[in-house]
Amino acid sequence: MTADGTLAGYHAPVSFSLHATVTDTDDNLAELMRLSLNGDQRAYATLLLETARLLRPFLSRRLRSSSEVDDLLQEILLSIHKARHTYDGKRPYKPWAYAIARFRLLDHLRAHYADHLRDAEDYDELEEILPDDVTEAELSYESISKEVEKLPEKQATILRLMHQDGYTAREVAAKIGMTETAVKVAAHRAYKILRERLER
Amino acid sequence: MDDIEQLVANLSKEARAVQAAPRPWLLGLRWLAIAGAYIVVALAISGLRPDLALQLREPQFIAELAALLAILVATALSAAILAFPDLHQQRRAAFAPAWAFASFALLMFFSWRADVPPAPLPQHNIECTLSILLFSLLPSAWIFYALRRFASTHLRTSGMVAVLFAFSTGALWLRLHEQTNSIIHLVEWHYLPMIAVAALGWWLGRVLLKW
Repeated sequence: MTADGTLAGYHAPVSFSLHATVTDTDDNLAELMRLSLNGDQRAYATLLLETARLLRPFLSRRLRSSSEVDDLLQEILLSIHKARHTYDGKRPYKPWAYAIARFRLLDHLRAHYADHLRDAEDYDELEEILPDDVTEAELSYESISKEVEKLPEKQATILRLMHQDGYTAREVAAKIGMTETAVKVAAHRAYKILRERLER
Repeated sequence: MDDIEQLVANLSKEARAVQAAPRPWLLGLRWLAIAGAYIVVALAISGLRPDLALQLREPQFIAELAALLAILVATALSAAILAFPDLHQQRRAAFAPAWAFASFALLMFFSWRADVPPAPLPQHNIECTLSILLFSLLPSAWIFYALRRFASTHLRTSGMVAVLFAFSTGALWLRLHEQTNSIIHLVEWHYLPMIAVAALGWWLGRVLLKW
C-alpha cells in the first residue's frame, strides 16, 4: 500500500468507504485477499467492504427488505472471515465469495420459510379450537382482532405485525428491537392466551 | 451500512496472517495416506486372508480391489474438494465418485454373471456389514473432524462422500482379511449397505458440518 492510500499495482485508489471507486476486478480482489492472508489489515478491510458492495445487489434482488439484506450481508462477511483460510489467492475470488453468499442465502431462506410455516401452524391450531360459528365464518386476523387488542401491548403488536402485516418473527424482532427468540416466545404466550379466551 | 462498516472494522482489526489450506489433491492424498496406514495396521492385527496370494492371480479379484481402491481415491479427493466453499472451482472432480461407483456396480454385475456355478455362501452374513461399520467408525469420526476445519457449502454431499470414504476403507480391509468369494454375499452384505450408509452420511453432513 502506498502512502496516498493506493494499493501498489492497482489501477484505482483503494479506500475504506463503501462508496469508493475501487475496481472490483477479480484480480484486484484476489490480490487484496492475498495481502489479507499475510496479515495486511487495511487490505482486508478494503476487501470486505468491496465484497459487501459486490454482494448487495445480488442479495437485494432476492430479498424483500433492506434490513434483511443488511443482516444477511453481515452474516456473509462473518462467514468469509471464518472461511478465509480456504482461499489461497491463486484462483478467482468472486466464485469463492459468491459460493459462500449463496450458501448463507439458502440457509436464510430455509429458516425464513420454516418460520412462516411455524407461524401458520400456530394459527391453524388456533383455528381448530375456535367455536363452530367462528370457523364457519372463515377465521381471519380481523375476526379475532378485538381479542388480540386486549392482549398486553407487546404481544398485540407482535401478532399484528406477524398476521396482519405478514412479517416473519425475525423481521418483527428487527423492527421492535427484540431478539427473534423473544418474539417467538411472546407470540406463543399470546397464542396460548387467545386459545384460552376463545375456548371459553 | 454503519453496522457493516463497524463489522468490517472489527473483523479487520482481529485479522492476523492465516495459512491457506493445502490444495485439494494434496489434502486428499494426506487423507488417503492416513486411511492406507489404518488399513495396514488393521491387517497386521487381524491378519491377511490365507488364500490372498492365490487370489491375487485372479483377474476378477484384482479388478474388484482396483475398483474399491478407485472408490477410496475418488471419495478422498471429492471430500477434499467439497471441503472448499467453491469446490476449489473444480466442480466436475467433486462428482468423480459417481463414476467410480458406476464402474464398481458394472464390475459386480459382470462378476455375478461369471460366478457359475456360484461360489458357496459363507455361514455368516450381517457380521460382515457390522465388521465394516465398526472398522469405519474411526475413519468416519476423523474425516468429519477434518472436514469441520474447512468450510463446505455442500453439507449433505460432503457428509455422504465422507461416510462412503470411511466405509470403503472398511470394505477394502475386509476384502483383504476375509476368505469369501461368493459374489452374492459380497454384494448383499459388503457393498449394498453402502446405500444405507450414504443416506446416513447425507443426514450427518447437515448436522455435523454446519459452520
